[in-house]
Amino acid sequence: MKKKMSWIALVSVMTLMASLLAACGGSGGTGASKEPDGNASGAATTLRFATWDTGDALKIEQEIAKKFEESHPGTKVQVEAYADGFDQKLAAGFGAANPPDVMYMWDFPTYHQSLEPLDDYASKDKDLNIDDFYQGLFNYGKMDNKLYGIPAGFTTRVVYYNKKMFDDAGLAYPSDGWTWGEFQEMAQKLTDKSKKQYGFGVRAENDTYDLQGFVWSNGGSFISEDGTTIEGYMNSKETAEAIQMLGDMLKNGSAVLTGGKGQQSGEDIFKAGKIAMWESGIWPLESFRDAGIDVGTVEMPAFPGKPLKGVLAESALSIAKDSKNKDLAWEFIKYYVSDEAIKMRVADLPVRVSVVNELKKDQDPLYKPYYTMLERSDNTPAFLLNPKWNEVNRQLSAAVESIMFGSDAGEVLNQAVKDSERYLK
Amino acid sequence: MNLQGIKDRVGRLFTGTYHSIRTKLLICFLIVTLIPLFSLGGLSYYQSAKVINSQFGKYGDNAVAQLEQQTSSALGRMKQTAETIYSYLLDPSHSGIGAGTPSTYGDIMEKNDFESLLKSLRTQLTAGIYIITTSGYYYGENNLDVNKLGNIPMWSTKPKAYAGTYWLGFYKQDHSIKSSDSDNVPVIGLAVPIHHPDKAQDGSIILIEESAEELLRSYAKFEADTHAHLLITSPDGTVVYETDAPYTPHDNDVTWSRTLGVNQWTMEARVPAKAFYQSSGVIRANTMVVAIVSCLLAFGIAYLFSSRFTSRIRTLKDSMQKVSFGKLDTRTPIEGRDELGSLDMSFNRMVTGVQTLIGEVEQSERLKKEAELRAFHYQINPHLLFNTLNSIQWKARLEGAEDIRQMLYHLTMVLEGNLDISQELVTLNRELRMIGHFLKIQEIRYGEVFRYELDCDEALLPYLIPRMTLQPLFENIFFHAFTDGQGEIHVKVEEDHDELVLTLRDNGAGIKEEKLAQLFSPEMKRKGRGGLGVRNADQKFKLHFGPLYGLKVHSIKGEGTTITIRWPKKEESFDDESRVH
Repeated sequence: MKKKMSWIALVSVMTLMASLLAACGGSGGTGASKEPDGNASGAATTLRFATWDTGDALKIEQEIAKKFEESHPGTKVQVEAYADGFDQKLAAGFGAANPPDVMYMWDFPTYHQSLEPLDDYASKDKDLNIDDFYQGLFNYGKMDNKLYGIPAGFTTRVVYYNKKMFDDAGLAYPSDGWTWGEFQEMAQKLTDKSKKQYGFGVRAENDTYDLQGFVWSNGGSFISEDGTTIEGYMNSKETAEAIQMLGDMLKNGSAVLTGGKGQQSGEDIFKAGKIAMWESGIWPLESFRDAGIDVGTVEMPAFPGKPLKGVLAESALSIAKDSKNKDLAWEFIKYYVSDEAIKMRVADLPVRVSVVNELKKDQDPLYKPYYTMLERSDNTPAFLLNPKWNEVNRQLSAAVESIMFGSDAGEVLNQAVKDSERYLK
Repeated sequence: MNLQGIKDRVGRLFTGTYHSIRTKLLICFLIVTLIPLFSLGGLSYYQSAKVINSQFGKYGDNAVAQLEQQTSSALGRMKQTAETIYSYLLDPSHSGIGAGTPSTYGDIMEKNDFESLLKSLRTQLTAGIYIITTSGYYYGENNLDVNKLGNIPMWSTKPKAYAGTYWLGFYKQDHSIKSSDSDNVPVIGLAVPIHHPDKAQDGSIILIEESAEELLRSYAKFEADTHAHLLITSPDGTVVYETDAPYTPHDNDVTWSRTLGVNQWTMEARVPAKAFYQSSGVIRANTMVVAIVSCLLAFGIAYLFSSRFTSRIRTLKDSMQKVSFGKLDTRTPIEGRDELGSLDMSFNRMVTGVQTLIGEVEQSERLKKEAELRAFHYQINPHLLFNTLNSIQWKARLEGAEDIRQMLYHLTMVLEGNLDISQELVTLNRELRMIGHFLKIQEIRYGEVFRYELDCDEALLPYLIPRMTLQPLFENIFFHAFTDGQGEIHVKVEEDHDELVLTLRDNGAGIKEEKLAQLFSPEMKRKGRGGLGVRNADQKFKLHFGPLYGLKVHSIKGEGTTITIRWPKKEESFDDESRVH
């Protein structure tokens, strides 16, 4: 009996030692592997959020993520700033079935198949208060009548002007309802080449998306409304005219080419007080004010006798189909478009009517033009009409760029249409 | 003063003049402690230092190899990118890419295609990919200010005619079109000239820049970890990278060196020998500290132990010294029951013995002195006495008084025996003859009223007996035992083995019992003359032959007294004989 007891003791001692040894040997490994376990048990889920923003906008987004973590204990939001490489990285993430849970999205035609339809979430969740949004914004996030993105921010395009330069030139500030003719006249007067000072800045490499406002205002468009045809649209007289106007302004010297090789960006030149007018969305407004420019905003000019049209740039939030935390992702989106978060995001225009009313943004003369332009932004952008638009756009972009370098708009647009036809067949 | 004492002591300790047991014990202790300590410490230092040095050496080697790998992969990537661009440009279908600013639709299409290739070649680390044409136009991201390329330190120094790759090394990227935001990230640059004769692209330069932040961080981490001085040199000897801290190379520096396969850059990390062996130096210092502490500990313990041990010996030694100076009542305290304790005990016993012995010797010496003094007292001018007596004797003869002459003659004989102190031991024959003279005097005095009987073998007569021992006893008989000289005296001498036994018996008055008891007691005050003779005689025997010998008195009141004397046989030596004459 006694002998048996000692055997048992011996065995237990040996197992104890073995476990101790194992513990010692594996301490490095277990320490590392325990970390996620601990998180899981404490419900610390990591939510990945991809954004294209950088700088101050990114800082605000990180702030929002932190606030969300505070209100949702056990959640960690990993903000992934893809910046310039956004499209590449997103594509890579979807390709590897390892996409971020939540992401900024605009190119729904390309990605909607990898995204989670959000209709159910939006209609079931009363907290979202979907009716409070500017309803036009939802058009951009819909593919085949399914909602893939919740609008997070948007901007329309306006003309910024440097009040001091207008004052110096003895010109009255522009006002809503002005025309391109008035615009060009002012630009001429504001130009002083001896001071390297210009009335207007034209981007060397325009995003054709942004040019749609010009084109639409002149009664043209890049593609037919059914999205099947570009011949007669992209190379139409109205379209060519609108774009040629920019090239002409460069030619006659009332505008300067910006952002090209060896050129400063238009924003930097505007901030330096060397161009009087600049056409853009809301993004640079803060930086203009920070730079000490007395800046004013005004609606885009209209083509005489034609209705002014605007183009809407929208950022939406989407959930990846492969996400493992869809509910949490939805919670994050909901928080991101809540009053609190919207107020934090000054680089975007509020998507909720209630916030705009509360902040009286549409009453502020500096912000008002964005909202009037919003009302004029009822055309559907080309990329939403044809899934192959990206291919067509390559030719169009090159054509537009060559126009800025002096090519004839009608000629190069015909060439671009000719080169693009094959993608639409 | 105390300090001086310590100094003296230490001095003695080290000069070796201090041969105390304590010193020896101390040295013994230290040797026993220090030999294993130092050998063990030295061994462990040697071993661990070896292990650590070799591990640190391997670590450094690996670290440099890792840096080399990291740098190589960055350089390799850049070279690869440049080659891809180069081969793209060599493709005849891309001949539209010229030197000037593309302005036509076709040129712009070509440019856009080319730039999308450049964009696709970008990686996380890419800081810039540009193709700078001879006209000053460039392909790539629209953020380059061609005029600022001169800010690259090695851009302007690059040789006019060169082929292949030209590495620009590390520099801060400072050629942005934006003057304001100069983040100036550190980059590593590569310039590849395009040799494509007959084409507009000829003479263009491909500039590849990759962020060097991570590399430089690795370098800095390596430098911080190993305290090494990192030096990267190109094959032509140009310093590409060098650790900021000033450094003087030494021959004994520990050096790790690698050559990059991509562009033959040499990467050399130097660690001063001192820094390299620093960790083993720490072990050495620790070992030394432990050794010194142990040394002190051993010293302390040894001192404590030995002082406890030797202090007892010292006490004993001090006691002995005191005894040797005559302080016989010194006793050493007995501490413990070990060998030293028993030594203390034996010492105490011995001193006690010596003290007793010396007491005895002193006693007998004193008695001897007394006897001599007394004898000296009697010796006063015997010649005057004898001459006078002889004159009286001669006068008595002339007067015809024969009995007076007889008496004087015997008295002279007796006195002669009494006063001759030249010999303490005389023959029995002589002593008995003197007794004969003494009895003749008594006979003349009292008349023939007593009887004397001598029973002694002739052969016993030469044996020695203390001088003047029998006469006092005879005097006692006549003064105390007999009235008017009447009585019987019987003397008998026998031999008993090696001893002689003399029995003197009388039939006189005897001695009272209480007086008998006091007879040998020295304390008894002299009362009259009685008894002194017995004690003196007894002491004489004891003095000469030892306490075992002497007188025994047996007396019955009214019936007489028997005195028995016992002493060892001793014949007169020849020496003594010759001295008599």
